[in-house]
Amino acid sequence: MSEPKRLLVIDDDPDFVAGIKAILVKAKYAVDVAYNPKDGLQALKDKAYDLLLLDVMMGRGAEGIMIARKLGKDPKLRDLPVLIITGIREQMAFLFPGQAVHPNFVAVDELVEKPIEPKLLLEKVAHLLKTAEARKAAAK
Amino acid sequence: MQPKHKILVIDDEEVVLDSCTQVLAGPDCQVTTASNGAEGLRRLEEVQPDLIFLDLKMPGLSGLEVLERIRAKHPLMVVIVITGYATVSSAVEAMKKGAFDFLPKPFAPEELRLIARRGLDHSRLVQEAVALRREQEMLRENFAAIVSHELKSPLGALQQNLYALVDDLEDRLSEEQKQRFAHLKTRLDDLLKLIHSWLRVFSVDINRLKDTFKPVGLGEIIAKAVENVQPHATRKALEIETTVAPGLPRINGDEGSLTEVVTNLLGNAVKYSFPNHKIRVRAEAQNSDVLVSVADTGVGIAPEDLPHLFLDFSRGRAQPEGVGGCGLGLAISRRIVEVHGGSIGVESQPGKGSTFTVRLPAAQAVSEPGPPRQNKV
Repeated sequence: MSEPKRLLVIDDDPDFVAGIKAILVKAKYAVDVAYNPKDGLQALKDKAYDLLLLDVMMGRGAEGIMIARKLGKDPKLRDLPVLIITGIREQMAFLFPGQAVHPNFVAVDELVEKPIEPKLLLEKVAHLLKTAEARKAAAK
Repeated sequence: MQPKHKILVIDDEEVVLDSCTQVLAGPDCQVTTASNGAEGLRRLEEVQPDLIFLDLKMPGLSGLEVLERIRAKHPLMVVIVITGYATVSSAVEAMKKGAFDFLPKPFAPEELRLIARRGLDHSRLVQEAVALRREQEMLRENFAAIVSHELKSPLGALQQNLYALVDDLEDRLSEEQKQRFAHLKTRLDDLLKLIHSWLRVFSVDINRLKDTFKPVGLGEIIAKAVENVQPHATRKALEIETTVAPGLPRINGDEGSLTEVVTNLLGNAVKYSFPNHKIRVRAEAQNSDVLVSVADTGVGIAPEDLPHLFLDFSRGRAQPEGVGGCGLGLAISRRIVEVHGGSIGVESQPGKGSTFTVRLPAAQAVSEPGPPRQNKV
């Protein structure tokens, strides 16, 4: 039996996190949680993860976007697949003038809207993990 | 410490500069002087004054020219002109170009003080009005973000935990318990949808839709909208009959929001129709417009309700049993249609039914702007 995949969730809403963590744990993933961007970035430095689930709106604004941008610049973390989970509907992004919160502003692999149905969540996670593995294999 | 007020005096006569400084300068008032127009314009950028005294008769750049340049760059700047020979005509000319007041030379210190006080008061009011407007705009813009985060997040968390619980308990829940979970999910979904609607109404930025306009076919839009409401229609045994005129011109617009409009109208038709009746959707060209109409044979709308129908939170009084809604659907629809340069109207007879008609300019006619619309939001 292979090692369980390690996922990190960065989201400042503990209740929401409890809701997705339960689904992921039941699907046999090893799930760590960070409740703010700072702890999240630290966790990413300390440990190797296979996938990051990232909330967009945290703290004083779109801090999730900031994390995603930082990841993009970090050669070690650049290839980490990211699933953006957001309360903002994509079609509603035009409601945020002057703020770079539009999900398309950052290069992230996938985006889902809160709340997310268990089946869809697990599909997205499995798909991202598979794509990342294929990419790694191709690079070798 | 920053002085409370900053005044800039532009005059080629040194005696005027000196006397102004002497009379006006003090612990809470900083006076800057310039002896010609070009220097004055430079000083203006450096000090950012609250008030400017400007001589009209100067060598080099004339006072009126300086005034025009100031107003062009700082439309809210308060400028008081000093008129050399007390000619009313040049003062009037300056007032027409946006000067706040004029001061004829020679003037007594008391006159200068008085007019400076008035000018500074006016400047403060102007600045306050600007700040207030900016604050209002910020509030409006941020409202969407605040509502979205503060209201939607808790609901999202609730919903997410419901999902997780159902997932966990899948094998142990009875059919009846599953039903109850499904019901909770629907209620939460409705709340989330309601918040979404509010955001649409209060957001000023519905105009942004224009940025992504492209030619769209109303046939496809209607088909999608019909698909959206079909389950509700089936439940009430209603038939939806669609007629799209062949060769219908495309319109320039946003597919998603237009689908929302037609879905809204169809949803209302379903809501207010008598069971077993028929709803008719038609799309046809008329002159350079495309008309989409949704007609039902239902409860209809009372004549006294018609004028408010497209306003926020307005709902007709003739509510059939069990009809829910927040009265925002038509207001949102109107806004969306107006962003597309179109209009929306209704004809109705109580007890007989209602016909809503959306008029949108056909794509080729879009470049010619139509007559200005009255009811701007």
